[in-house]
Amino acid sequence: MRPVYVLGVGAHPWGKFPETPQVQLAAHALGAALRDAGLGWRDLGGLVAASSRFEGGLGWGLHANELLQSVAELGIPTLNVGGGCAAGGIAVHSTALMIASGQCEIAAAVGAERMPKGFIPRPPGTKDDPTDSDYLRWVAMGATNPVYWALEARRRMHEFGTTEETYAAASVLMHRNAVGNPLARYRAECTVAEVLASPVVASPLRLLELCAVSDGAAAVILGTESAARRLGVPLVRVAGYATATGSFGDPATRIPTISTNPVAGAPHTSEVATAARRAMAMAGLGPEDVDLVELADNSVWQVLAWPEMLGFCEPGQADWMLTHGEFDLDGEMPVNPSGGFLSFGEATTAQGLLQVCELAWQLRGQATGRQVPGAKVGMSAILGLGANGASIVLQA
Amino acid sequence: MPTPTSIPVVDGLFDVQDGAPALVGAKCTACGTHYFPRRARCSNPACNGAEAAPVRLGPRGVLYSWSVQAYRPPPLFGMDPWAPYAIGLVDLPEGVRVMAMLTGAPPEAFQIGSPMQLRLEPLRVDADGREVLTWKFAPVAEHVA
Repeated sequence: MRPVYVLGVGAHPWGKFPETPQVQLAAHALGAALRDAGLGWRDLGGLVAASSRFEGGLGWGLHANELLQSVAELGIPTLNVGGGCAAGGIAVHSTALMIASGQCEIAAAVGAERMPKGFIPRPPGTKDDPTDSDYLRWVAMGATNPVYWALEARRRMHEFGTTEETYAAASVLMHRNAVGNPLARYRAECTVAEVLASPVVASPLRLLELCAVSDGAAAVILGTESAARRLGVPLVRVAGYATATGSFGDPATRIPTISTNPVAGAPHTSEVATAARRAMAMAGLGPEDVDLVELADNSVWQVLAWPEMLGFCEPGQADWMLTHGEFDLDGEMPVNPSGGFLSFGEATTAQGLLQVCELAWQLRGQATGRQVPGAKVGMSAILGLGANGASIVLQA
Repeated sequence: MPTPTSIPVVDGLFDVQDGAPALVGAKCTACGTHYFPRRARCSNPACNGAEAAPVRLGPRGVLYSWSVQAYRPPPLFGMDPWAPYAIGLVDLPEGVRVMAMLTGAPPEAFQIGSPMQLRLEPLRVDADGREVLTWKFAPVAEHVA
């Protein structure tokens, strides 16, 4: 398998854009990535779409072929990948394989999402099926997505003594990082007191400690080393790329399940932990080599739990790391310099692509206003509905 | 439970035998792993797709975690009248961790580690005047402050 490089990245700002069709958001992001690379649509050799559950023509979500039919009828191969919110990371993985395998010299991954308002509901048209846990969790107990993170957050308070102030401080950090990111939807700084004063949604978690839902789009163009050198782009290698699914005995109660079968010693959020371990192994790197991480902070709980799960600190140590500034841009292990989901609001399938865009900007030194000094290695980690995980490691 | 005046919110998730309620799950015929709700096969890769047979679970457990939902969920959830309520995860002795509404104490009064007891309670009354029952867990009586 040959090495894979980032040729270009681009994104549409996050927000609410009811007048902009999903395909137009996708075309905007991919167009920006093409300009970043110095390429045109006709240079694409393959296209992978992270397919939405919520919107998209023909009832099958965003499809790469649909985007090409609307912008450039190239005749190139496309892939359309699912994986819930992990689809963006999975799409980068699939695109990297297209390059590494020799199938394409230049290929792109794109994700675009327009989300329904409020609590993320069932996909439109879903039948009431008693064997479908996404039906059972709503009809039998009304379990919203935030309550799943709230149950983890409460348990962490019990196990490690995490305080509500520390959770609030995680929100403060994410919002502070976003001040410097023009793509983020929420760019105002906030204080611990303001976070604690925001309404409780699912105790112990508050409104400013949970990610909203947004519209957004992002794209990543990958290619061979010779393509990267020909274009003269900064050399950023996709050093590791991996996907994974959940392992038996994982103690995490996953959205939308209503039970789990924990086995002693089984890893928590195994789909992400496994993907990250595989991506690191492929890159030949360890957690100590990583200069920054972009992780899926659906809530403040992940800001604390995931750096531990990914091996950046010991279980229970993240509270100290956060409150001592070690997750800051100039700390030992910067977490979500982009501002994370808490500052963007989740545009589900696009989110995993935005993470990789941010890694590229950081490693090129182009993350003006939120730059991690001297960043050479960046890692993404993302979780998707249905026990899907993905992780991408970029190296400059 | 299933009487002329009450119906389950979904068939097949719980039953009552000799007056005692239980959740209805499944047990792997090979490794003995328990599941809720019922399912056809065990997902332990060591079992190579072995069948899982129906089994009754509970009715007692230990509270693993809990939360109070302060905002009304989407309409598929028919709780009526609606008010903020607690949801918890309860570890059953069979090794299953089950999610459920919590009852028997004020919403913010639950404690991790408390012994819990299964109860079947109404979510609402349907158009025919029948109580629509769901499963909940309540602190075991002697542990209520």
